Amino acid sequence: MSKIFHLSIIIATLCIIPTISLVFAAETTGEYLDRKAEIWNLFFRMMTVAFVVGGVIAGTMVWQVWRFRESNPKAKPTPYEEKGEL
Amino acid sequence: MAHSNWAEWIYVAVVIALLVYVGAEAWNIENLIEHVPEDAEVIKVTAQQWFWSFEHEDGTKEVGELHLKKDHAYKFEIESKDVNHNFNIHEYVVLLDAVPGQINTVWFSPNEAGEFDIQCREYCGLIHYNMRATLIVEDT
Repeated sequence: MSKIFHLSIIIATLCIIPTISLVFAAETTGEYLDRKAEIWNLFFRMMTVAFVVGGVIAGTMVWQVWRFRESNPKAKPTPYEEKGEL
Repeated sequence: MAHSNWAEWIYVAVVIALLVYVGAEAWNIENLIEHVPEDAEVIKVTAQQWFWSFEHEDGTKEVGELHLKKDHAYKFEIESKDVNHNFNIHEYVVLLDAVPGQINTVWFSPNEAGEFDIQCREYCGLIHYNMRATLIVEDT
């Protein structure tokens, strides 16, 4: 139940906010959308997401290579290696 | 072998959330910038090798220069007489193809007075590099 509740909040937020923004988009004379600002802001937000995702993926890969290297003192053989199946 | 897979589910959820966020944001902004104000003045833009001509709603025609008023909305109806061109006002992030036999529309509102470059952004032949015009935004 709680999961459904959280999911519906996320979906509602993602759908309702853009719809409200669209409905209340500048209609009054003399108050127009600043196309340049909107497009560049979108670009910067997308770049923020892209760099965060890139950083997390790159960091995970570096950590995996470091943690699971053979020479790591914490390294343990897999069940297959223990049985000599590999 | 039974094992906990909560980490995978969190990973999948984060990826889906990010994709939904990126899609929703882009969709929202695209809708906002495509919403043409009702009082926007229509300007017919004609591209041809290798110059731009403009026609205002009152019939005034300009070649190589476009005079607009600050803080007014303008809707461009862009077409080409010969080959593909691309109408670009770099300063105002206006960029749209001019295609023969087709009218493409884009709108914007200049919020700064001054002179800005209009240029062709689609290679259209020998003098493409010099297919330019000047946007002159006047204070009202």
